[in-house]
Amino acid sequence: MQPVVDPQETAGSMTDRVCAIALRERAFLWWWLLMIPSAALSGLLVAAVFWLFYAGVGIWGIDWPVMWGLAILNYVWWIGIASGGTFISAMFFLVRVEWRTSINRIAESMTLFAAACAGIYPILHLGRPWFFYWLFPYPNTMTLWPQFRSPLFWDFCAIFAYVLSSILFWYLGAMPDMASMRDRATRRGQQIFYGVLAMGFRGTAREWRDFRAAYAVLAAIMAPMVCSVHSIVGLDFAGAQTTGWHSTEFPPFFVFGAVLSGFGMVLFLILPLRRLLRLESFITARHMEVLARLLLTSSLCLAYAYIMDAFNAFYTGDVSERIFFHDRISGVYAGVYWWTLFLNIVVPQLLWWRRLRLNQPLVWLVGLAVIVGMWLERYGIVVVSLHRTKLPSAWGNYAASFWDWATLAGTVGLFFTGMLLVVRLVPILSMFEMRELLANARRQG
Amino acid sequence: MSGVLAAFADEAALEEATMRLSLVPACRLQTYTPRPLEDDPPRSRLPLVILLAGMLSAAAIFGMETYADTASYPLDIGGRPLFSWPSLVPMAFEGGALAAVAAGFFGFLIANRLPHLHDPVDESEGFRRATRDWYFLAIRAPDAAALAEALSILDELHPELVEELPA
Repeated sequence: MQPVVDPQETAGSMTDRVCAIALRERAFLWWWLLMIPSAALSGLLVAAVFWLFYAGVGIWGIDWPVMWGLAILNYVWWIGIASGGTFISAMFFLVRVEWRTSINRIAESMTLFAAACAGIYPILHLGRPWFFYWLFPYPNTMTLWPQFRSPLFWDFCAIFAYVLSSILFWYLGAMPDMASMRDRATRRGQQIFYGVLAMGFRGTAREWRDFRAAYAVLAAIMAPMVCSVHSIVGLDFAGAQTTGWHSTEFPPFFVFGAVLSGFGMVLFLILPLRRLLRLESFITARHMEVLARLLLTSSLCLAYAYIMDAFNAFYTGDVSERIFFHDRISGVYAGVYWWTLFLNIVVPQLLWWRRLRLNQPLVWLVGLAVIVGMWLERYGIVVVSLHRTKLPSAWGNYAASFWDWATLAGTVGLFFTGMLLVVRLVPILSMFEMRELLANARRQG
Repeated sequence: MSGVLAAFADEAALEEATMRLSLVPACRLQTYTPRPLEDDPPRSRLPLVILLAGMLSAAAIFGMETYADTASYPLDIGGRPLFSWPSLVPMAFEGGALAAVAAGFFGFLIANRLPHLHDPVDESEGFRRATRDWYFLAIRAPDAAALAEALSILDELHPELVEELPA
């Protein structure tokens, strides 16, 4: 088995290397080459949102019967990607796997920005977004309460709690590393910046004792929370009487898909980052191997869910379900279904072979394939289900408008802008955990 | 009260120093380490705080939902019972989890009196390695005799660095 860290590295060399990346006086050229288009796309997002607020949701392609279009499917897609990061940072912390250490900061940062991208869609989709605070159960002169029995309301609670908890969990885990940055920084501005972020963490015995306890318990809360969040997203659909949605398998089905796209995005990010930031001695072949296997496993789980989905269409004995399924595999949107199966189920099967798992460009492409495939899966769930309602007289088609696509491209820009800022400003590996890993490796070796 | 700051290259040396210096009467010791120490420290009370915050919040949210659905704003939806408690669980769970996470984060800050942006140990230039690879021990002695005793013990331990601590 390959080592998770190059045996030549020490706590000191590792700290210096990781801190130097963020403390560089000037950003890398590749950083600017990626940042400029990302920031431009974020600008497009701002424009699209302003135009939406001015003109209303009529600028989107949604119309009867497809009233949930790209906004909702992008939301589901982003929140799925987010959950992969929490899985790696929380779930694998609890089972104490050592390969998690060097990728958990990247994975958690991915969660943060993917969740931020997801979080804006439901608000944009509200129609009257300035009333979004009506979702909170606050005392009001209308003497109204939110509908606590609606999955859509649970979803609001879940996303709200998940986004805030992810931020706190990320920041708590980064605090000791911010202290390392503060102490390595030589320029005044950086010293103040990291000094404030570190909040005066110095690594006293008591700080470490409380830190360890709090971090472990938070991880134990985040792990079930991430499952609940995506299950509730599944219930948004399952709770409706719509053909193709009304199924008890939706919560686990959505969790499988979320984890698959999350692992896909982690691989998509760490493979280039380890090269660009020269982190090959910390993010090793072992990490690629493990992540590729996890991606394959979640793809197989999802294959099971797809089979059950197809089986249910016939098992229910409902005519509308059968017509819908027939339309799904051979109707106007049939391409969406077959591409979903190909990208999410067929392509990941390449990872059965160890040689292919260690082929970086190939694994990167598989990661990209499942990210696209998961977007198509949600297109199939949201759009294709709605366009064949139970009532044939209400059937209709959907096509996304320019502003739909602009909002999607804008959130992609926002995500990469955020990730690039993290790469530029935050230590990209969890240094204090790497020190523990190095100490353990020394003791055993 | 005067003090001295010593640095060691590894955890074992720090542990030995802590053990021997703890025998000097009235000396106060504080360790600063780049990673959590191996030896089992006294248990933190934070997990209990987190548990209580999560459970109480979840119960409070569940109570609020029950009040709203049964007393304040009862709605008959398809003849379902007003107190349909399973549908009240998701918000209680998510709210309780959020409260627990917040209690863990802010509890950690409060318990350790953070933010604490300046401390006398920061005056030492060498102390910056406490967040890199050295293990530091700050010793505060009540009088000159105790300090001299601590210094003589430190001398035998061959620390990487010994500096006077500003009061």
